[in-house]
Amino acid sequence: MSAIGAKQPELPSSSTRGPVAEVLVSLSLSGSFLTGLVIVAFWVFCALFGEHFTPYDPLADDIINSLMPPSAEHWFGTDQLGRDVFSRVIVGSRDILTVAPLATLLATVAGTTLGLFTGYFRGLVDDIISRVLEAFMAIPVVIVALLAIVALGTSKSTVIIVIGLSFSPIIARTVRSAVLSERELDYVAAAQLRRESALHTMFVEILPNVVPPILVETTVRLGYAIFAVATLSFMGFGIQPPSPDWGLSISSNYGMIAGGFWWTVLFDALAIASLVVGVNLVADGVQGALND
Amino acid sequence: MKNYRILDILRRGRTDLENHLIDGLVDGRVSRREFIRHGSLLGLSLPFLGSVGFAAGFGGMPSLARAQGTPGATIRVASSVPAAAIEPVSVADAGGLLMLQQVGEFLCLDGPDLVLKPMLAESWKPNDKGDVWTFTLRKGVKFHSGGEMKADDVVASIDRLADPANSSNALSVFTGFLQKGATKKVDDYTVEFHLDAPNGNFPYLVSSDNYNAIIIPADYKGDFEKNFNGTGPFKLEKYTPKVGASFVRNDDYWGEKALPERTEFTFFGDIQPMILALQGGQVDVINQLPVLAGVALLNDPNVEILSLKSVAHHQVHMRTDMDPFKDARVRRAIALSIDRNKLQKGLMRGRASLGNDSPFAPVFPSTDTSLAQRQQDMTQAKQLMEAAGVGKGFKVTLTTERYLEIPEYAVLIQNAVKEIGIDVELTILDQGAYYGDAVFGKSNWLDSVMGITDYGHRGVPNVYLSAPLKSDGTWNSAHFKNAEYDQLVSGYIAALDLESQKQTAGKIQRLLLEETPVIFGYFFDYLTAAAKGVTGVQPTAMSQNYLDRASKA
Repeated sequence: MSAIGAKQPELPSSSTRGPVAEVLVSLSLSGSFLTGLVIVAFWVFCALFGEHFTPYDPLADDIINSLMPPSAEHWFGTDQLGRDVFSRVIVGSRDILTVAPLATLLATVAGTTLGLFTGYFRGLVDDIISRVLEAFMAIPVVIVALLAIVALGTSKSTVIIVIGLSFSPIIARTVRSAVLSERELDYVAAAQLRRESALHTMFVEILPNVVPPILVETTVRLGYAIFAVATLSFMGFGIQPPSPDWGLSISSNYGMIAGGFWWTVLFDALAIASLVVGVNLVADGVQGALND
Repeated sequence: MKNYRILDILRRGRTDLENHLIDGLVDGRVSRREFIRHGSLLGLSLPFLGSVGFAAGFGGMPSLARAQGTPGATIRVASSVPAAAIEPVSVADAGGLLMLQQVGEFLCLDGPDLVLKPMLAESWKPNDKGDVWTFTLRKGVKFHSGGEMKADDVVASIDRLADPANSSNALSVFTGFLQKGATKKVDDYTVEFHLDAPNGNFPYLVSSDNYNAIIIPADYKGDFEKNFNGTGPFKLEKYTPKVGASFVRNDDYWGEKALPERTEFTFFGDIQPMILALQGGQVDVINQLPVLAGVALLNDPNVEILSLKSVAHHQVHMRTDMDPFKDARVRRAIALSIDRNKLQKGLMRGRASLGNDSPFAPVFPSTDTSLAQRQQDMTQAKQLMEAAGVGKGFKVTLTTERYLEIPEYAVLIQNAVKEIGIDVELTILDQGAYYGDAVFGKSNWLDSVMGITDYGHRGVPNVYLSAPLKSDGTWNSAHFKNAEYDQLVSGYIAALDLESQKQTAGKIQRLLLEETPVIFGYFFDYLTAAAKGVTGVQPTAMSQNYLDRASKA
């Protein structure tokens, strides 16, 4: 028995795992993904359970002891109403981690639907929808927010709709590109020969095959959405006082920086930065895993 | 020690009303401060008031002598951006009225001590009933364009503001008192105001308190921004909308010539860049400094804070015609849950006076100060809630504007009433969205069930008593309708002598404490910041700033 002709024992290899397992293994080995995941998980934990371990009620004022610098009593100091900044930063992740993911989900659903239609039908449908989306993308989020607030009133729902609709054209464009190449493949032609409806072909045949770019775009958009929520809160849209929302807290206290009361703003700003960095690291990891 | 012989001489030729005031000072019914302030309102000159005070045993008037600064400086001021074109009829914002006042002058000036001083009018006096006021104009006053200011200019300027067809901002002051055509020229230097109803405080209505009421030429064509033609100590050099303005000394000024050679105004959209500009030496003065946002400067050794007692305040209204505030006990419970001392010391950094749920601020001479100050009392508040049948509390939305310390005030109220079971949800809007069209049915301000609204300074409480609280008040956001109150306010406004005003004020104060349609938590001081070494800056609590005596070390 020649060694050459002998059947080699099968070693566990990447080729034997399913594509999902492949991605999971790749993610588990990705330093950036794991780092990002830890950061995001920390803030999610704070959003869910933060109020149980904050040293003070984040909403309770103590106006006589306002603007106290960081100390053993108040680790991050107190703000202009005497509220404990540490407690507010911890609990402040709640609004942003509710609004940003919901806005991203809305953008993903709307963008994917539009991208499937424009990429699948092409021609006049593509031309019309794409031009409308491009025009929409030219309007800054803040202007859209102002218009929406006039029409819908100030609320978290308005912020979700504004950010969701503002981001959907970007996702639509990504999905459209993916669909344009997918629709030329044999399995799409086969579905058409089977006289499947266009909706079936788009959502059952093509959609599963364009999930990776959608996933990458969604995670990237989530990072931008967090930043957008913070920006809109800073500008006074959507989230209302006394919420400890980070953007809103910065907006309420940034006037104090010139007086040397840096702690009223710095920790909220660092919190936003850390969450955005965390989400972007996760996005990098996902992109890397899907490309591998 | 009183000198009755001199007092007798001083009383000769005076009206009954004027002598009644003098008797009030002599008998101790009127304090010296009240005497000076009310005397100035009746048109008595400051030297005369000083003489009476001296004869009544109060010593001389405080010296009005001022240290003379160095002439020739350029004073640089940071101001908010004027919201619209600089037009005397329509200006309604702090930035705009500051520009008007740099070149324009009023018949009289409501000074930082709330004492009226002559400006373009030398003197004034009412008839016995108080419905005709006669003003004698100063002679030799020239407009920047060259002509002399005379009665025709005063009549035209005031008529323009009183004409409903012009949609003038001053109609909020004149409506119900002064109509177009009711300002009459007697001769070139005498003007009579024929009022719809007696008004004991009328001179304030044509003073710097009514910031639109600058006197401009009778032939004004509606192009004020072109040349800023007024009578003041400074003339326009350059005005660039949204950017800034500069003015130069008017060498033809009727009074003492201005010390500065020039003044420069830079417009800022926010307070923070103003603070940085002052700290960095780019400006010398910040015209108005909000306490909380300006906390950085309050203890800065390189900055001098000029603090004026003002009656500016934030009104917390509760809709008296809607649940849950139909019952006055609920409104009182909310008022009792607020810790005013904490607001005064904490929120306003001690730069405010306590409010007692009426527009009668402590600085008004007519305020009845014998009434006890409403204090926080949670036990009584809870009892009132129980008695009103809402012991378990309720949920309500408080709608307000994003301006000065109002959002923080709203949060403090939200926390305070939590203890009596009221769950307040806040809706904080930008000013445009809050005020809307400023008419009932089209305004969050006037339609909201509960709200907080900013009210600027006034020399007398007339506007605060009427517009937001009278049954037909155009700003009655509490929808408060009370015939007794309306009658009392009409009586107060008509009263010419201080004692009658005080007596009626006391009744109004008691009624408002009982009804509490609006919470007046505090009256905040007006702050101006100036760089160390800059002297002679004279702001008013109305956001005006007189720079003619300003200089730099």
